Amino acid sequence: MLHEHYIIGIIIFLLSYIAIISEKINRTAVAVFGAVLMVIFQIISKDDALSKIDFNTLGLLIGMMVIVNVVKRTGFFQYLAIKTAKMAKGNPIVIIVFFSIISAVASGLLDNVTTILLIVPVTLVISDTLKVNPIPFIIAEIVSANLGGAATLIGDPPNIMIASATDLSFLDFITNLLPLMTVIFIITVVLIELIFRKSLHVDDKYKKEILSFDENKAITDKKLLIQSLSILVLTIIGFTVAEFIDVSTATVAIFGSSLLIIISRVEPDEILADVEWVTIFFFGGLFVLVGALESIGFIETLAENLLSVTNGDIPTMTILVLWMSAILSSFLDNIPYVATMIPLVNHMSSVTAGNFEPVWWALSIGACLGGNGTIIGASANVVARGALERKGFHISFLYFMKIAFPLMILSILISTVYLLLFYI
Amino acid sequence: MNKYVHSETSQHVMKLIQLGADVQVVRSNMVYVSFTLENGVEVAYAYNINKKNHYFLERIQPYPLAVKEFDSPDDVVNIILLDHRQFQNASNSKKMRNFIDINKSLHRTAKAFEDLFLYYNICRADVMEMEKHIEDMNKLINRIKTESQRVFFEKEPENI
Repeated sequence: MLHEHYIIGIIIFLLSYIAIISEKINRTAVAVFGAVLMVIFQIISKDDALSKIDFNTLGLLIGMMVIVNVVKRTGFFQYLAIKTAKMAKGNPIVIIVFFSIISAVASGLLDNVTTILLIVPVTLVISDTLKVNPIPFIIAEIVSANLGGAATLIGDPPNIMIASATDLSFLDFITNLLPLMTVIFIITVVLIELIFRKSLHVDDKYKKEILSFDENKAITDKKLLIQSLSILVLTIIGFTVAEFIDVSTATVAIFGSSLLIIISRVEPDEILADVEWVTIFFFGGLFVLVGALESIGFIETLAENLLSVTNGDIPTMTILVLWMSAILSSFLDNIPYVATMIPLVNHMSSVTAGNFEPVWWALSIGACLGGNGTIIGASANVVARGALERKGFHISFLYFMKIAFPLMILSILISTVYLLLFYI
Repeated sequence: MNKYVHSETSQHVMKLIQLGADVQVVRSNMVYVSFTLENGVEVAYAYNINKKNHYFLERIQPYPLAVKEFDSPDDVVNIILLDHRQFQNASNSKKMRNFIDINKSLHRTAKAFEDLFLYYNICRADVMEMEKHIEDMNKLINRIKTESQRVFFEKEPENI
């Protein structure tokens, strides 16, 4: 009976995983269906399944989505984009630098997909006004958003999951990843500028049109802007002090979001309707799927095999996890990958002596930066391509890969040197 | 899909605001209604339902009719039902197709006039000639009205 459970559990997991990767069926539907099958076939009990759901990750995601949904109503992003485009005097080369910085910073504080959804529409209007191809701008923004997201605990879902499963705090992510991501960001943006500089010529009359834009008109609700930015700053401060006051990051995010709804008096039903419940349910289903695999002992077996391959050597494991995560995340959804890797790394750390922190950083860096490798590597990339296609522009898989994959490999090489120098 | 709708809305809003417009984005459900009359003619409407109590109704088929604003969704439905009954009644006429063709033709003429006015500097004599033709047309409608038998009594005509 136990052996049957083992086999059935692995089959359900693999079929669900394949279906998620294939993207033929909605990934949330597959994850939730797979999770329910795990309960129906008694691979995991209903109570255990519920206990496997990481409510800290879900709470943090929901809280931040609510805050972002209010901030984005204020027109703040349009204001920033117009202001910087005018500062650049309509020069597309300089605009790309400014928009990349905005994307990276915003992605570190919000999440990649939201950042892309905020910056891409503005970019399309600006590039349309300049009569210039928006693709170089969008590629720079995608890469920057993924880099910025990798720098903080709240910037990318893999980091949220890793933080929730470990003792790594908001400040740990900032101090360990922000310097690395800043270096990679500067090198990457310079290289993107070099790649596209010849194709970005703009007539002076179109530059003057950009200068005629009024950034102040973009702010739709000044009071709401002040309220929502204040709460966002308060929440970020809350994340940095959370570890000292023994409060979870989810508690901080939910506190900030509910306070914002109360003081701003925005319609809660509209704000909550904008929360990406599909993503939340996807995480829920995934936690149960991986939890079921853990409960039958499969993760343990996998971890033991990985330990035997690396002889339990932490430096080897760090580099292996970094490169494996980067390559796999270039082609696969990094969320299910990280969800599977977390119990695996957890188990390896429990049976191996030594500091496992470098392996966690390798997982985070690899999974987040790997998304830059291909146009399907991260949700932000797919969303940006979709928005571009609706405007009649197309980024092919190979075109994006030709530019972004070498940049991703370079970023992983830099990360390898960083990990070897400072952690091993 | 929802993400892309938001993205496109943001682009439109940004462009319009920069042109000096005051833009409000109202979330609503778009309702598309169509009936097929016995003679095969399609009568279709589009309206939206939203929380701001502004309901915009437009007839799309058999010929477009300008948007009207209502304060309640019930008013919208009542107008659609009445309009549908008017067309159902009119469909008994053998001249229904001619009636639709004339209406479409009038609509095209109105659009052509708009283009003429917006794209060309027309002389006063031509403007007066057009006004004369419109006046003649209105006189013709009124003459036909007085000489013809009324067939629909649920509501008084609004324009003649």
